[in-house]
Order: sequence, then C-alpha cells, then structure tokens
Amino acid sequence: MAVGHEPRIVGFLCNWCSYAGADVAGTSRITYPPNIRIIRVPCSGRVDPLLIVKSFQMGADGVLVAGCHPGDCHYSEGNYHARRRLAVLRPFLEYLGIERERLRVEWVSASEGRRFSQVVSSFTEQLRKLEPRKGAEVEVSS
Amino acid sequence: MNATEQIVAKARELLESGTVECVIGYERATDGVNARPLFVYQAEEAGKLIFDQTCAHNLAKYLLNRKGKATAIVAKPCDVRAVNLLINEHQVERDKVLIIGVVCPGMVETKWGRVSEKLRQACELCREHTPVVYDFLVGEPGDEEAAVEYPDVARMEALSIEERRAFWEEQFSRCIRCYACRQACPGCYCSECFAERLDPLWVGIRIAPSESWIWNTMRAFHLAGRCIGCNQCERVCPMNIPLSLLNRKLEKETLELFGYRAGVDAETPAPFATFRKDEKLEVGE
Repeated sequence: MAVGHEPRIVGFLCNWCSYAGADVAGTSRITYPPNIRIIRVPCSGRVDPLLIVKSFQMGADGVLVAGCHPGDCHYSEGNYHARRRLAVLRPFLEYLGIERERLRVEWVSASEGRRFSQVVSSFTEQLRKLEPRKGAEVEVSS
Repeated sequence: MNATEQIVAKARELLESGTVECVIGYERATDGVNARPLFVYQAEEAGKLIFDQTCAHNLAKYLLNRKGKATAIVAKPCDVRAVNLLINEHQVERDKVLIIGVVCPGMVETKWGRVSEKLRQACELCREHTPVVYDFLVGEPGDEEAAVEYPDVARMEALSIEERRAFWEEQFSRCIRCYACRQACPGCYCSECFAERLDPLWVGIRIAPSESWIWNTMRAFHLAGRCIGCNQCERVCPMNIPLSLLNRKLEKETLELFGYRAGVDAETPAPFATFRKDEKLEVGE
C-alpha cells in the first residue's frame, strides 16, 4: 500500500432507500469514512454500467452501488435489473484487471443508517488493502 | 448443385416471383479473392451471387437499412442468430425477412490476396454448422451440435489479475478508435452511440490509453447477452485487437448465470431485459 494513499470511492445511492439511509447516518451522528463521494441516483437500476466504468477510468479505487433491498424498489423492479447487470459487470471488470472487490453492491434501506456506515467503513478498509489503481489517471474535466 | 448454384437459383426464383425486392448475398470482390456483399434487385443479376469459404461478412447488419421491405438474406449459422437477435429486439420483422440459410463449413483467412487453408479463429471454435432457423436451406443439415466451449477465455482467466491488466493495457493501446468494430457489428445499431456523445463526453477524442479502455470495455459490455459471436468486430479490426476474448467472456458469463445464448431463438427475452426475483447472483448478498 502506498503511504498516505486514501482510497476514493464513488457511491451511487438510490434516492429512495440508500441515500435516505446515508442521511439517517448523518442525522444520527453515525460516523463513516469521508472516502466516499456520494452521487444520488433515482434508482439502482439507473446505474448504467457506463457510469461505473467511467468512474474507474477516472481513477476511482472503488465503486459502491447501493439500492433498496430486493422487493422494496420504489419502481418495483429497478434493483432486480441492476442486480443482473452488476452480476455480469463484476466478473467482466475482473477479467480486464480490476479486482472484484473494487465494485461493491449493497442493499441499504432508508432506516439502515448504521448499516450504511458499516458498509462504507468495511469497503474503505478493504480498498486500503489493495494497491492504489495502477494506470488510472485523474482528469480534470472542463 | 453446389451452394452457389442453389443460392443463385433461389434468388432468381424469389426476385422473379416478386416475393422479395432484394436479395442480400455475396459476390466476388475486385481482387478476385475476397467476397463482398451484393444487393440483388433484378433477377438477371442473381448470377453474380456466390458462396464459398471466403464469405465471412455478416450480412444481417444490412437488414437494418431495409426495415419493412421484403428482403431475402444469405445467412450462415452465426448470421442467422444475428437475424434472430434483431427480430428479438424489434429491429427487423420476421415476415419481411426470408432467410436463405447455408450449412457452414467455416470461413477461411484471406491474406495478401490469397485464400489460405486456415479456418478463421471464430470458425475454429464454432460448433454450429446448421442455422437454427431458415426458410430455405442450402446444404445438408448436420448432426447434433457439440456443447459450446470457451478454451480461449479459460486461458485468460487462468492468468493473474496483474497479467490480465497488463495484457489488456497492451492490446487497447493499439486501438485507434476507428469504430470499425461497431460499424460491422449487427448488434450495434444505436442511432447515437455513447462514443459520439459530447455532453457528457464519455469517450474523449484525444489519443490516450484510458479513452480506448473505456471504449473497448463499454462496446463489449453493450453486447453482453446480445453478442452472437459472428466475430465481425475482430475481423474488421485494423489493429488486430482480440475483441472476441471480451465478447466470449461475456457470452460465457451470461450462459453460466442465466443459461442464455443470444440469437438461438427470437422469442426468449435477453438476460438484461428480464429477471427472476428469487435468483442468487452473488451481488448484494
């Protein structure tokens, strides 16, 4: 591990469950590592694999996709579609040389503030054990 | 009658009777070695049609330009699966397409103005010689097809993650992003490709490894569960990037996870178009 390297995580949180869960963590004063940069999406089904691949291209050490538990999707079935796509994307990224652990998918409900904190903490710890992304370049977009 | 004669006779009959307006097939290219696509509109021109082991193009792509018009197409087993894919995705109407299926001996490499004996790599790995569906068949249907195998993908998977990363870095570094892979692919028909979007700029126009990386990754992923393995992308790649290794990995994954192979029929919904509530996919568990 490089000295002083802090993993950077891009977190795609669904508006209805996980984003609210992160909010609960905040209002309950539950701490979680600041390594995550949260992007609110309407549904985990909105998370186009392109967004994840783009995050990795731009140098993210890890990507977290969090949505409602199966069966609880606000749009009935968005997370089921997300699950299928991510189930294929993860081994594919691994095939390209991006460790399986770098893409994490979790179901976090609107009341699970503590669980959200645990997820981000354990994910950050997991990423600390890996080398910083090699060959990834940080770009400044205009 | 050999394959060429059968195709010529059938094309002539179809055009004379007015069953179709156009027959898409192959003719000899001007170099006298390769084949090239031919669109026959007049029965008198049907004689130009040929079929042999140089007819490597997947002509299904051209059906996209003939939506709603009665068209016959000369199709090998992989091409027929591409037609199925397009029907499944509502790009082509089944009753407007007349499939002249050809029992495929496998296509050979043509290099430096010569036809070699060597089968193309995709054909060497291919176990399908009889089209899954056809309106008219050229050749004798073969026996039961053997199971699909992925020895090439397994070899890649056996490498360490660093080795794979280095391998793809090297391969993608050659990419000149000419997008020939996309143009040749029957599954790539978006009127506006993500690579052409300027805002957001998903794929930058500068020459940089990371831009080629995102292009090749997403091109392959957009065909996850859709690629029918005709290997046109690799055939047309001027930089010889082994794109089939990416496509076949995704093919293998969707086969293992969902038991699905694209284009085998035109009805089964694609894996990403459907789901099962109770499935266990090792995601979010």
